[in-house]
Amino acid sequence: MKFTIDREEFVQGVQHVNRAISPRSTINVLTGIKIEADTDGLTLIGSDSDISIQSFIPVADEEKEYLQIEQPGSVVLQAKYFVDIVKKLPGDTIEIEVQEQFAATVRSGAVVFNLNGLDPEEYPRLPKLEEDQSFKIPQHLLKDMIRQTVFAVSSQETRPVLTGVNLEIEEGKMTFTATDSHRLAMRSAEVETDASLSLSNIVIPGKSLTELSRIMDDAEDLIEVVVTETQVLFKFDRLMFFSRLLDGKYPVTKNMVPTQTKTDVTLERNDLVQALERALLLSREAKNNVINVKTAGDALIEITSVSAEIGKVQENIEVASLNGEDLRISFNGKNILDALKVIDSDVISIQFTGAMSPFVVRPQDHDQMLHLFSPVRTY
Amino acid sequence: MANKASKKHPVLFHVDMNSFYASVELLYRPELRGKPVAIAGNPKERRGIVVTSSYEARAYGVKTTMPVWEARRKCPDLIIIPPNFDRYREMSQLMFAKLTEFTPLVEPVSIDEGYMDVTDEALTNDALNLANLVQQAVFGELGLPCSIGVAPNKFLAKMASDMEKPNGLTVLRKRDIQEKLWPLPLIEMHGVGAKTNERLNRAGLKTIGDLAEADALWLKAEFGIKGEKMYERAHGIDERQVDPEAAGDRKSVGRSTTLRENTNDDAELLRQLERLSELVAVRLKHHHLCSNNIQLMLRNRNHETMTRSQTSVNPKMEADDIFEAAKALFLKYYDGEDIRLVGVTALDVYSRDEAFHQLDLFRYAEEVAKAERKREE
Repeated sequence: MKFTIDREEFVQGVQHVNRAISPRSTINVLTGIKIEADTDGLTLIGSDSDISIQSFIPVADEEKEYLQIEQPGSVVLQAKYFVDIVKKLPGDTIEIEVQEQFAATVRSGAVVFNLNGLDPEEYPRLPKLEEDQSFKIPQHLLKDMIRQTVFAVSSQETRPVLTGVNLEIEEGKMTFTATDSHRLAMRSAEVETDASLSLSNIVIPGKSLTELSRIMDDAEDLIEVVVTETQVLFKFDRLMFFSRLLDGKYPVTKNMVPTQTKTDVTLERNDLVQALERALLLSREAKNNVINVKTAGDALIEITSVSAEIGKVQENIEVASLNGEDLRISFNGKNILDALKVIDSDVISIQFTGAMSPFVVRPQDHDQMLHLFSPVRTY
Repeated sequence: MANKASKKHPVLFHVDMNSFYASVELLYRPELRGKPVAIAGNPKERRGIVVTSSYEARAYGVKTTMPVWEARRKCPDLIIIPPNFDRYREMSQLMFAKLTEFTPLVEPVSIDEGYMDVTDEALTNDALNLANLVQQAVFGELGLPCSIGVAPNKFLAKMASDMEKPNGLTVLRKRDIQEKLWPLPLIEMHGVGAKTNERLNRAGLKTIGDLAEADALWLKAEFGIKGEKMYERAHGIDERQVDPEAAGDRKSVGRSTTLRENTNDDAELLRQLERLSELVAVRLKHHHLCSNNIQLMLRNRNHETMTRSQTSVNPKMEADDIFEAAKALFLKYYDGEDIRLVGVTALDVYSRDEAFHQLDLFRYAEEVAKAERKREE
């Protein structure tokens, strides 16, 4: 194998596929990046067997020539070293040549690295997916939906299925749901698809989505999403992102959202964010982040937080409206704050259903998002 | 206080009672004095192990943790006494009370050893002479022998008290360490267990001196903070203060048991864990405490100990919740080898007054109902 490639383009491709690679992988060949050159262009692959990323660099496009392939071939190079090396190379182009025993020579400007490669034949094949279940979504929207839900997945392995985001599609509407069983985030959007497509219990690991969103930007262009029993594939222009799906039945969440409320509050999102940030200053040590809220008059709520060792804080917030029963409730303020930070509306509404049952936080502007929280109980 | 201590040269004692349990038993049965005596878990049981023994028994090769049958083979005339922990606790309290007559700065480390900070007292009295007075008081008034290490810090004091037993009085100054400390094999260094010793040996380090001359960066990389500490200690450096409150500051509540015989029977081990979880729950309740971090301990027949812990969002205090965590850890980490000791510990305990329960979105109704039932009880 021998080729010369535009450095910038190559570095970006290498960094993208490196996102999938775990340096601690027990499968030796997966600690490397697979590089494959053929007449159409260069294919890079990184994988930790849960996530696989394939990046393609064509020989040329309308704008520019990226690549000259002198001799097709393939090799696997240790990602840990290779990624840093290519980032630091001085020239505008990089030449890579592989000779016997997978010995690779990397040249750029006046620099030459000789690297020991691994056998590309040992590299696992990427899954071949049946493409009959697929839909399209703008890149920026998918990125938003991930950001607005993935923070709520469980970090505990006790219920593995909750470490993922549940994807559902019905009648052209896609819904993402994430919950760690103490808070739940739900976000929906219209997607371009065959009207008959109906998907449920597609649980994508939170970690996969986090990595995926790091590769995405706020572009308008459509991404094609292909779903099978065990895998999901996100197809970009020159990049394919595969993720394993989580086994198991995602809990039914639709009926968890309370339909009746006892106390309704509408207020400025930013007022609540700032009050919670102040109140949480005291509970940082205690780690339980407990905040107490109580209704205090017609248009006032009182927020308090107490730390036995440090002290206490009290703050009154004027709200736009307050209806229903008087209320005292305690909850994990950090969880609410996480949600408030992803709500894209200046005004929010909160529906409480009592001190010992869940409450809902929604944006005022639209009905495509909701956040559900359980309160805390003292002993 | 740190300021005050830095002006004077600190003088610390490590007081180590000599074969404490056996010495206490001899007070009750003076006719056994001079004979080989061992305190051992129920002597009727074949698997009972020697908890401690008199120096006469040790001369025959009887060692702590040796099974009774083996101790009997080494010393056929060995007199075995079952342990009587209430007696030992009582004598321990008397002993510490005696030490506090010399200085209020006494920190008990366990039932039979403790540190004293006598920096102030040593000004008016030569340190060695003072140690002698302490030793005489403990022996003369309580009838219990002890060894005392005299040094500028805890580590050296501890090492010093180990150097002469019984009835030892050993001074270990910083300038002595090259001569007295460095030739010792690493296994004798306080804080170096069998495993650490083995790892150090493999790296070619055999003595405390080797450790002192090892690469500090390597030690840190290999052992983390523990490595840094070991390196410092080998150079006679130990910043820890004598803290009389340390023993009262409860950080964990644990219970463990040595099994009647080594076993790899899952059901039996889980039964033991369930029982220990109940004991921990009783203890937590007594002190009005709870924990979000439950630890499982397993020790195999080679005395290799494994601990694994699990944190939870919600505090645990009831036996069934503690057992649930211990069981989950057991099922995840137990590899089927023969086990001689199991333990359950609630780590980082705190008052129930500061505890909160985060309700579950799927089960909040049940949780609230269960809490109501508890409250009514």
